[in-house]
Amino acid sequence: MALLIRQQRRRHADGLRLAAASAAVVGAATVLLLGLSGWFLTGAAIAGLAGLASAQAFNVLLPSAGIRLLAILRTAFRYLERLSGHAAALKALAAIRPALFASLAASPPAQALALSRGEASARLVQDIDAVETRFIRLSAPWGAGAAVAAGLAMAAPAGWAPALVVAVAVAGAVTSAHWLARRLNARTGPALQRAAGALKDALAAHAAAAPELRVYGAQDRAAEEVEALGRALDDLKRQAVAAQGWLAVLQGLILGLAVALTLAFAHAAAAPLAAMAGLAAAMALEGLGGLGKAFEQDAGAQAAAQRLDEVLVHAPATPDAPAAPDRPSLSFGDLVLEPGSRLVLTGPSGCGKTTVLERLLALRLSNSDHPRESGDPSGLGPLTAERGRKLGLGPRFRGDDRRVGLRLEIDGQPVEALDVQILRPAFAHAPQDAALIAGTVRANLRLAGDHAETALWDALADAALETRVRALPQGLDTWIGENGERLSGGERRRLSLARALLRDAPWLLLDEPTEGLDPATEALVVQRLDVRLKRTGQGLVLVSHRAAPRALCDQQLPIAPPRAIG
Amino acid sequence: MPVSFTADLDAVARPWLKTIGLAGGRARQAAPLWLLADVPAAIAFAAGLALSIDALAIDALPRGLAAAAPWLVLIAAAALARGLLARRAAEAGAKAAAGVKARARHEAVAAILGHGVARRTGGEALSAAVEGVEALDGHISRFMPARLASALAPLLIIAAIAVATPVAAAILLLTLIPFGLVMALAGGAAAEESRRQFLALERLSSLFLDRVRALPVVLAFQAEGAVTRDLSLAAEDLARRTIRVLRVAFLSSGALEFFAALSVALVAVYCGFNLLRLLPFPVPEQLDLKRAFFALALAPEVYAPLRRLAAAYHDRQAAEAAAQTLAALPAPAPAPPLVTFKAPPALRFQAVTVAYGVGETPVFEGFDLDVAPGEVVALLGPSGSGKTTLLNLLLGLAPLSGGEVLVGDRRLSHLGSIAAAVAWAGQSPLVLPGTLADNLALAWPTAARDQLEQVARIVGLAQVLDGRGGLDARLDERGAGLSGGERRRLSLARAMLKPATILLLDEPTADLDAASELALLPVIRQAAEGRTTLIATHSEVLAALADRVVRL
Repeated sequence: MALLIRQQRRRHADGLRLAAASAAVVGAATVLLLGLSGWFLTGAAIAGLAGLASAQAFNVLLPSAGIRLLAILRTAFRYLERLSGHAAALKALAAIRPALFASLAASPPAQALALSRGEASARLVQDIDAVETRFIRLSAPWGAGAAVAAGLAMAAPAGWAPALVVAVAVAGAVTSAHWLARRLNARTGPALQRAAGALKDALAAHAAAAPELRVYGAQDRAAEEVEALGRALDDLKRQAVAAQGWLAVLQGLILGLAVALTLAFAHAAAAPLAAMAGLAAAMALEGLGGLGKAFEQDAGAQAAAQRLDEVLVHAPATPDAPAAPDRPSLSFGDLVLEPGSRLVLTGPSGCGKTTVLERLLALRLSNSDHPRESGDPSGLGPLTAERGRKLGLGPRFRGDDRRVGLRLEIDGQPVEALDVQILRPAFAHAPQDAALIAGTVRANLRLAGDHAETALWDALADAALETRVRALPQGLDTWIGENGERLSGGERRRLSLARALLRDAPWLLLDEPTEGLDPATEALVVQRLDVRLKRTGQGLVLVSHRAAPRALCDQQLPIAPPRAIG
Repeated sequence: MPVSFTADLDAVARPWLKTIGLAGGRARQAAPLWLLADVPAAIAFAAGLALSIDALAIDALPRGLAAAAPWLVLIAAAALARGLLARRAAEAGAKAAAGVKARARHEAVAAILGHGVARRTGGEALSAAVEGVEALDGHISRFMPARLASALAPLLIIAAIAVATPVAAAILLLTLIPFGLVMALAGGAAAEESRRQFLALERLSSLFLDRVRALPVVLAFQAEGAVTRDLSLAAEDLARRTIRVLRVAFLSSGALEFFAALSVALVAVYCGFNLLRLLPFPVPEQLDLKRAFFALALAPEVYAPLRRLAAAYHDRQAAEAAAQTLAALPAPAPAPPLVTFKAPPALRFQAVTVAYGVGETPVFEGFDLDVAPGEVVALLGPSGSGKTTLLNLLLGLAPLSGGEVLVGDRRLSHLGSIAAAVAWAGQSPLVLPGTLADNLALAWPTAARDQLEQVARIVGLAQVLDGRGGLDARLDERGAGLSGGERRRLSLARAMLKPATILLLDEPTADLDAASELALLPVIRQAAEGRTTLIATHSEVLAALADRVVRL
């Protein structure tokens, strides 16, 4: 992450430098404008009192021109700062997300999958947002720094003591803001995150059961439970605001003392210089007002970048990966399947049939269970121990360590030892939860690679979905919403099946492909599948409770139930 | 969407935000008042500066530091007071925000938990209720108080300056007029552009989130390269369009900066020339140092409230975007009425029509069915034929669009739902975080513990009971570790525990293998004993235990 940010900073260095320089001009001009004005006024007052001659001798041109120049500089450079800073940041950010995604896709399955669900993925996006915000604010310290420098420069003519006062006050303001921000981040931050997580988890759990809750008359109880968690979160927020409020008080005190002391120490100097010093001190310290929040954001962004670092250390796979075998054989324990064979995995529910498919795809390590429990509309799966630890959730979130110990091999090589670049080309998968991406029908089919229009329609026809898609307002280009929510459950499943059929792979892995279909549609899908398999010579590994698709398979393999749950 | 965005905003989001803002209570008024209380403190600070400089500069007795001392103390005290007032304003804002968020959350949760029709609640609604509600915070706690204060505070400051020097005050007032004009002309366009940019960023974020969530599929299809390219195109497109947009969007911040700087410069130059008595035009006042310095020290404060407002603008955008989603959440349906039937009632469906939305094809049209008291009827039919809808109709989860259902002698069209009189096992039996006992007793909270245990064993949850430490076993988040079949059994147990005279079972044996299904049949038959029962199923075996099979 740090590397990524550095790269982007380098690539857009010109824009960022311009933004920083502009911010510095604005910061300095703001302080100089007021300081110079103070000096001018005091000098003018003294000269004015001394009579017309000295008033006319007083050089008005230079200060008044300076004042006008500073006002113009401030405006022009503020605009330039915001424009160049945002432009550079935006260009950099355009590169960060895709790079992150590529890196995430290349990380080990357990990690990538843990991050693809629920709270963890929301958190990932928030972390990226935090890092991005910081990118946009890269120029801010330059502005504050220039303001402080200008303040010191204007206090110095009044003597070393006023300058020292300004320096000490700035140091005090910076240190106190830094200290408080760190304290808040260390204490309140994690507590807030935990509270928000608990709220979201409870709401997701209850939302999924909403119809039942209503029917059981328990929705008020559930709502109260959720709202209580919400109130706890709000209370934490208010405590954090109260704590931040003390920083405002402290900074006010520092500013007041600094200005008063600057003036006191400057009393021996010429009055215009004292006035300049006092005003400059006030403006320089006022420029530090947003410091607390900035430190807090920075610390937050740093923590976010660290968390991203931990998980995103993997370079995307190189294109010259070893070539996958053309038509590999599969073995499940002692059972060896030649290319083109058809196998159904059998066994009672919960015995790990889905797990076997996911192991073939390297989408699960053999010791992590249920990474994608279905029936969970928000995609908020159960927390695994590893994720629990990563999220700092403590030991409450235990992973389930049931093991499915069946030995799986491809062309005689154990799957755990094979590169994903060899494993995955061998399979086309229709997962149990029929996960879809937000987008159009076509975008979903395109995951299976680029195919001609006719091939898309063929696959849809084989999944008994062609008529339905033709009837959609924009056909293949109809937007189907988040996880296909505009389709019915059976339609989602068939679209997922069509996507698997499109993929050019020697083995089809179908997980409950006809669950939720009526017998007529099911019969049609099964018959088309049979024809298709005969035509393509693809093999089939099926998981299904239903008789019709099982009739396609000439071999079956019972999966041993796991040892007792505990 | 971009075209209708502003219209949506005006019609939906803003009124909604206004209404929900009322929940902030008295703290809502307190926050801007604390901000306004900062005006006297700022005036005191400027006065302290002016008087102490005056004391240091002008030959008077007592001269110098001693004369300046009280004013130096005033400076420190006023600055401290400003800090304290800022803290009070922030606290009042946070309090108001907490009130508003509690109300918004209450409504969102009610909408999510109480939606009348049994459709899946998207992740969008869930994040609206958590992140969306949170996004209201800055709007209520910072933007709204800043906006109210910014309407009054500049004028108050100018009034204070007018006491010292009416001409400088007039100059400041005059800079406010073109500033207002520029903001009225360019501000609207700038705000619109920056709102679009904000929305586009939000969309990019949700696109990224969606692809991350779809990662297992992306990986299985080795589509990571294609998806990365798509993301990259979307991000680059956004950057290109946004940079164009920003040129306009930043005009308003440029204008603010220009007039803030100009006002200080004008006041400084005017006061300086006035003090030197070198003004090229006649003015009705002759300033002295303390009055001139007071005006100068206070001049930056005129635009400070407007800067505060500009800094909080992002909060407003975030809140408006969230408000659009939150306002679109459906109103919660009323809670089901309390009806009970002493004896199993007859169910008579008369010409029933169910359509989920206007213009959508009805799931049923003119459906008739008579179920005798205590009869067990299995509903068989292809998926999409409306088995679940028929059960949901009785539970108030599907709308009765036409016809009538008589339950005993009561009319469903009057009742809306007979859920209170129904024992029900639904299709997606999710598990709530809590103990196994809590989960079993969900339908009938007064059930005794031994009864819970007995029923749990009857439905085949013995393995869970024994393996995890009995009724007090905690089912961790969302019942992780319970298989689909175990969840079905839990749901069945709930229906068995509730002593209602109507039993509705929705696919009670889906997710079970043939042997498990067979083992469960006598249990289901026993549960149906003495109750009017509807069973929706695909399974012929299960249908065979019914008194009558109805094919839809």
